[in-house]
Amino acid sequence: MIFEERQIEKNNFSLRATLLFSLIILGLMAVLIKVFSLQVSGYTDYQLAALKNKNYAVPVQSLRGEIFDRKGGVLVKNQPTFDLITRPNLIADIDSFLDEIGPVILLSEAEKFRYKKLQKEKASVNKELVLKKDLSTEEIARFNVKSFNFQNTFIAKRYRRISDYPEIFSHVLGYTSRTDDDYKSMLEIPRSHWKDVELSYAHGLIKGRTGLEEVYDEYLSGKHGQRVYEMNANGQLVQPLSFVEPVKGSDLYTNLDIEAQKSAAEYIGNRKGAVVAIDLDSGGINVLYSSPAYSINKLSNGMSDIEFQDLINDPDKPFFNRAIQGRYPPASTIKPAIGMYGLSKNIVNWNFEIKDPGFFIVPETGRVFRGWLKGGHGKVDMHKAFLVSSNAYFFSLAYQADILELSDHLFSLGFGQKVCLDCFDEDQVFVPTPEWKYSMMNAGWVKGDTVNLGIGQGYLAVTPMQLANYTAILATKGQFFEPSLVIFGNQEKSLKIWQDDGFDHSDWIKMHAALLGVIESDYGTARSIRDLKEFQVAGKSGTAELVSLDSKEAYLEIRASELLRDHSIIIAFGPMPNPRYAVSVVIENGESGGAVAGPVAIEVLKSLINE
Amino acid sequence: MNKPFQKIYFDPYIFFSLFLLSILGLFFLFSASNSDISIVSKQFVYVVAGFILMILVSQPDPAIFRGMSGLFLIFSLLLLGITYLFGPEINGAQRWVRIGPLSFQSSELLKLSVPIFLANFLFDKKLPIQRREILISLAIIFGCFFFVFRQPDLGTALIIAFSGLLVLFLSGLSWGFIGGSLILFIISSPFIWDILLQPFQRQRVATFFNPESDPFGASWNIIQSKVAIGSGGLFGKGFGEGSQTQLNFLPETETDFIFSVIGEEFGFLGVLLLLSIYLFLLLRCFYLALSARDRFCRLVIGGLSLTFAINLIINLCMVVGLLPVVGMPLPFISKGGSSLMSLFLAFGIIISMGTHKKFLPQ
Repeated sequence: MIFEERQIEKNNFSLRATLLFSLIILGLMAVLIKVFSLQVSGYTDYQLAALKNKNYAVPVQSLRGEIFDRKGGVLVKNQPTFDLITRPNLIADIDSFLDEIGPVILLSEAEKFRYKKLQKEKASVNKELVLKKDLSTEEIARFNVKSFNFQNTFIAKRYRRISDYPEIFSHVLGYTSRTDDDYKSMLEIPRSHWKDVELSYAHGLIKGRTGLEEVYDEYLSGKHGQRVYEMNANGQLVQPLSFVEPVKGSDLYTNLDIEAQKSAAEYIGNRKGAVVAIDLDSGGINVLYSSPAYSINKLSNGMSDIEFQDLINDPDKPFFNRAIQGRYPPASTIKPAIGMYGLSKNIVNWNFEIKDPGFFIVPETGRVFRGWLKGGHGKVDMHKAFLVSSNAYFFSLAYQADILELSDHLFSLGFGQKVCLDCFDEDQVFVPTPEWKYSMMNAGWVKGDTVNLGIGQGYLAVTPMQLANYTAILATKGQFFEPSLVIFGNQEKSLKIWQDDGFDHSDWIKMHAALLGVIESDYGTARSIRDLKEFQVAGKSGTAELVSLDSKEAYLEIRASELLRDHSIIIAFGPMPNPRYAVSVVIENGESGGAVAGPVAIEVLKSLINE
Repeated sequence: MNKPFQKIYFDPYIFFSLFLLSILGLFFLFSASNSDISIVSKQFVYVVAGFILMILVSQPDPAIFRGMSGLFLIFSLLLLGITYLFGPEINGAQRWVRIGPLSFQSSELLKLSVPIFLANFLFDKKLPIQRREILISLAIIFGCFFFVFRQPDLGTALIIAFSGLLVLFLSGLSWGFIGGSLILFIISSPFIWDILLQPFQRQRVATFFNPESDPFGASWNIIQSKVAIGSGGLFGKGFGEGSQTQLNFLPETETDFIFSVIGEEFGFLGVLLLLSIYLFLLLRCFYLALSARDRFCRLVIGGLSLTFAINLIINLCMVVGLLPVVGMPLPFISKGGSSLMSLFLAFGIIISMGTHKKFLPQ
């Protein structure tokens, strides 16, 4: 090549090389700008993304609060038990491991099967797996002796929700069971992480299902803690990074009274029925018992399907909370309310007398309503009408009542509405009105329907809870508190007042005297319980008819069938003259109110008062 | 000047840059391999061997390389043939050839032999390059490209094609021809897409343009790489402290994605330092190319150093998400003996071409 040509070639090369190297430098600049945008402009986002990759947060279950009675006695507690926990990733041969540990703790085939099924999944990600729940003390002792053989296995404390009175408080306390929706309580932890929750309870994540456990679930639950692990790309937990302790739920202090509840259960025995007792100074519910009961300990900590089905199919319906859901005719216990109506509307006064022939005939239709005593009580004024429980007196009073006014009056006394502030699933029932009857039966209200209400029969139905609330209104002369299971301060619950212009203080005094006479006088229908106690008690008994019959003879025929026998009812308050407690008792198919339900009410009052 | 061993041919700038890159590379590799000292010591042996190879290769006169360029190409193709016939299949590709205890990625050599052969073929041709020479050059380039592409190894095949085309361009290919070829390439690109690319390669390109379409599949790598680099911030998380790296969220940390490890653990400042060393190295090569004693040396230095630069840029662009994922190591940093040896070999040749100023007496 000649010189000029070489020079041209060299210049040509220089130009092209400069061009290419410039492009390369531009490429490097582009990379640098991109890196800058990632590391400086986008830093926060990518830092978060990196943390999200590696940080694996799991919830740590909080303990529920405990529940106490009014004297500090423990109703529900968290009882520690011990579970055997393994780290499957450190176990080389599962079968030989199970053979080795077999003599130390007793394993059922089902437990072995479950363990084998789950261990692979847990082993691959360094997670723990429970081998056996609720070890016996012998098993713990045996394991501790041989624990050096099982480095991959340890005993951990797990709690159970236990009541020392699992049966008698079953309805009011309620039970807990496993829940799937706890993830909603901690939105910062992804739902998928909940399968690795660090449990405090042997039964897993639990939630209140009935009773106080349900009503105060949020209050009792506390706040789950969280443990953050560093996790690698294969989902293996590398090391714990941080820990936020769970906050134990708040303890619940109730008005319930263990001794009084025990009395209620003891004296109802194996009969069906319910007892509600209210502290008049606060409206606190001291007793809320429904019979038959079931064990909340079993339900809260795992019950077999068979046992559960047996409970559900039991004809006595143990799950049914009779105290707040049972609908019973109030029978004669409604008479004070009817009397109050008659007095306030000036239909009668305390001196108004009738001649009780033992029955009442509705003039328009000629329909006959019978009293409980053949031949009647003779001349009765209102005081005596309460004492002897004259049906004819209240039939004739009700006959003169305006049904709309009467139903309003009954509503004002808490019937047809929920009266308990914090009971689980209370039935409000209803107060019958012409409108109600028309919509339910497509039939018009007749005078006889009103007459029937006069003795708490017919369409009227109430719960023992409503009866107790009504009793509290009677006992406090209209100055009562709303009933509640949990102790409320003055801020949350204030005094309620029932008043009526036609029903003044002297009427209240006469009413108390009459109701006192029911139990304490020689003529009172419930005088049989007079001598069971040291203090004086006022009240009204009742016998609720399940079938309407015209004669005692007819009743004796159906009495053979226990389920058709009358319900025995009593409401009572004492000690008189300054009552502190009101109580209502219903015993299904118990017949005579005073003699059957009465002793239960007295025993409950005794254990409440004698403290 | 008759005694060839009187002088040691040596370029302190290149030597220093490569020394720095290799030392840094060993450090990065230690972190990227989750502190696996055996991987680092193995790589250290390669580095030492590489420096010795480079110094040895830089001693002969360029004329000797020129004379041997044909043989070199034939030897490279022969190795490729052996690989094709006897090489073990790893991950669906035949890329390796075993000679005794050593295994070698045979296509690496073509990155050197193709540009050197073309430099030798073109250095004495008149300007502008004639059609006949162009066609012969293109035939060689695309023949080699095709052999490697069939392995399949698209990344290396492209680099080989680039290495040849770069020499062709530097030797004075007419602008008209370049423009015409570009238009032809654009027109035929749908054909290339459909016929030549494997489904997994098409997938990679599709993923590149829409990475969020498949966050746990094909684009996992690139997303994790961006997270690693981005979360490094200005100063990085510290040596061995990168969670993306150490907890295996980042794939291929020892090879293709080692730059992400650097970005995560040493931050923007670390990246800046690393890129500065590369830039310095390239500028030195640029200077050597311009000041080389003849056209052959110029073409070889230009071809080899720009091939190296393209290799570098493709890796960088890939890990930061500017290009689709293709298998391409970060030069002098990524783990791997074959690519390191061929790099040292290339720089040995570059030093030889750049430091021999006088012609050997004929």
